[in-house]
Amino acid sequence: MEGTALKKALLFVLPAFLISFWPADARALTLNYFAEGAAGLRTNDDTTRKDGYNLLEGRVQVKGSHSPEALEEWSAEVTGKAELLADGYDESLRFILREGALSFTPVDAVDIKAGRQVLTWGTGDYLFINDLFPKDYISFFTGRDDEYLKVPSDALRVSVFAPAASLDIAIMPVMEPNRSVTGTRLSFYDGTRGEITGDEANRDFEKPAETIENIELAMRAYRTFGSFEGALYYFRGFYNEPRGITDAAAERFFYPRLSAYGLSLRGPVLGGIGNFEAGWYDSEQDRSGRDALVENSSIKYLAGYSRDLGGDLTIGGQYLVEQMLNYDSYTASLGAGEPARDELRHLVTLRVMKLMKAQTVEAVFFAFFSPSDRDAYLRPSVGYKITDNLKATVGANIFIGTEAHTEFGQFERNDNVYARLRYSF
Amino acid sequence: MKKILALFILTLSIPSLAFALTADEIVERSNRAYYYAGDDGTANLKMTITDSRSRVRLREMTLLRKDIEEGGRQKFYVYFKEPSDVRRMVFMVWKQAEGDDDRWLYLPAIDLVKRIASSDKRSSFAGGVFTYEDVSGRRTTDDTHELIGEEELKGRPVYVIKNTPKDAGQVEFAHYIARIDKENYLPLKGEYYNNSGKLYRTIEVLETAVVDGFPTPVKAHAEDLEKGLTTTVEFSGVRYNIGLGESIFMERYLRKPPKEVKE
Repeated sequence: MEGTALKKALLFVLPAFLISFWPADARALTLNYFAEGAAGLRTNDDTTRKDGYNLLEGRVQVKGSHSPEALEEWSAEVTGKAELLADGYDESLRFILREGALSFTPVDAVDIKAGRQVLTWGTGDYLFINDLFPKDYISFFTGRDDEYLKVPSDALRVSVFAPAASLDIAIMPVMEPNRSVTGTRLSFYDGTRGEITGDEANRDFEKPAETIENIELAMRAYRTFGSFEGALYYFRGFYNEPRGITDAAAERFFYPRLSAYGLSLRGPVLGGIGNFEAGWYDSEQDRSGRDALVENSSIKYLAGYSRDLGGDLTIGGQYLVEQMLNYDSYTASLGAGEPARDELRHLVTLRVMKLMKAQTVEAVFFAFFSPSDRDAYLRPSVGYKITDNLKATVGANIFIGTEAHTEFGQFERNDNVYARLRYSF
Repeated sequence: MKKILALFILTLSIPSLAFALTADEIVERSNRAYYYAGDDGTANLKMTITDSRSRVRLREMTLLRKDIEEGGRQKFYVYFKEPSDVRRMVFMVWKQAEGDDDRWLYLPAIDLVKRIASSDKRSSFAGGVFTYEDVSGRRTTDDTHELIGEEELKGRPVYVIKNTPKDAGQVEFAHYIARIDKENYLPLKGEYYNNSGKLYRTIEVLETAVVDGFPTPVKAHAEDLEKGLTTTVEFSGVRYNIGLGESIFMERYLRKPPKEVKE
């Protein structure tokens, strides 16, 4: 692990870091900071490491940007974002580099951004089909800011712009997985044990070797058609959740190879915004679906609609269907007594957002509900900007399920209520 | 072509040559003078919002505008600088001649290009008294216009125009009275009345300047009399006809702000 971090630093961070200290006018460097405290109390007893809470931390963030004069003709910019996190749950103090990148325009039609950066595309609202960049659902489920749902990637992003269509190519030399639930902070359904498991889980996730063949590639071609935006997507890399089992008894998992092909369309529909997105996940290590230890291929479809109802009230809804391919092979490969997933997983989301008090108060109710899994996840929150610098947020994460093994049902004992206070300047 | 048109309008605006104008013509000229000066433009905007309890909030942004058709379609790019939690956020609008405008919001922390529904143009822009429509302009064809007087406002001769919405269900006002400078057609004051005939919102231009030959409001004040909210906007660094390309108003420049907005 140490070697990896060092390699990354040398590959990306160091050049960016050096360039940012190129002799230049100090005024060209702009810095912003925030300090935040957050606490999330559990409403259930559980078998996770700490019982009373799953979020207790203080965080300081500094972000900045700088345009080095030496690279002015390339309109270059160095951007950085670093954090110091005092995590009371892990009892750790961590330095986190969320961004450290150099952006430049070598020729008119090309933008390049190299280094650590957050990458996002696709049309879903908290639902991702063609955005296969890493996520942190532990942050999402415990009440950290939305920013932390996205895990930064160490990537080279090349964007080519042409009148007919634009193209984004993101190359990730080292695969960065999701921050997966391991039982330490959130309990979950452990298929290898057949029960909801907390801190006693001892899972080992094996990352792909750092080789040329394992370099990840994500591409998007997109353009507008009048007011509509269309995109095609391609991904070659690995599932970012450990969907393959190396050794069930030893709780060893791996990230199977994945290729994904998708498309999306977004634009004005019936006085609101409509979006459609689909993707085919080709699970290369289990194309037949007969291998019980590796995730099957699937097709995902998403349709969404959001509308502004006036008075700063916005509502939105989405419908997602995930179809497991070669389902018969999957059921045949299941062990006796193992709970089977459905061939079609249906998921509905609802967003209601209301701004009040001159837009200083933002109340959001977001709900995921799966009629096929018969489970749900509710995310109510209220944020209040007390001043331009001070923001307080309170919210809850509520999981409802009927079966222990479903996507949200497995987290049923992880309900929490949280509060955050952030001072930014 | 646009320059000839601008010259033509300028000629017409010399008082001695002005013929009696209809209310529709005055409003159209006002719309062009205020929202369509030059073929494009940029300005830094400082917005001060004060609530009924005297709490002050500041917003600073850089605006870019390009006219696609004179008096019709336009594109706007709004780059936020302050407060620090929204720094580098970008709001982009493609104003359409008919139907809803297209709006995007770029959230830099998660690299998200979000499409936002825009059916309600009367909602507040950035939490202040000004609405989205105040920022990008209300379609002149959405109201009927009536010239109800001519008077002086702070030493300037003005037309007094009553504007009544054709579709009352779309807006919160029953009508509004606009005072439009007779010489340069800048709207100098707007007074908004609700259904019970009560004045509830005012907008007033406090300072104007001639920039690159175009009369330009550089300071304006708006007040929501019901909520006790006031908003003052000050424009600086105003420039016109800087040669903005239409390509700036694309997803590319949400992620990588153009040099025109760099501090």
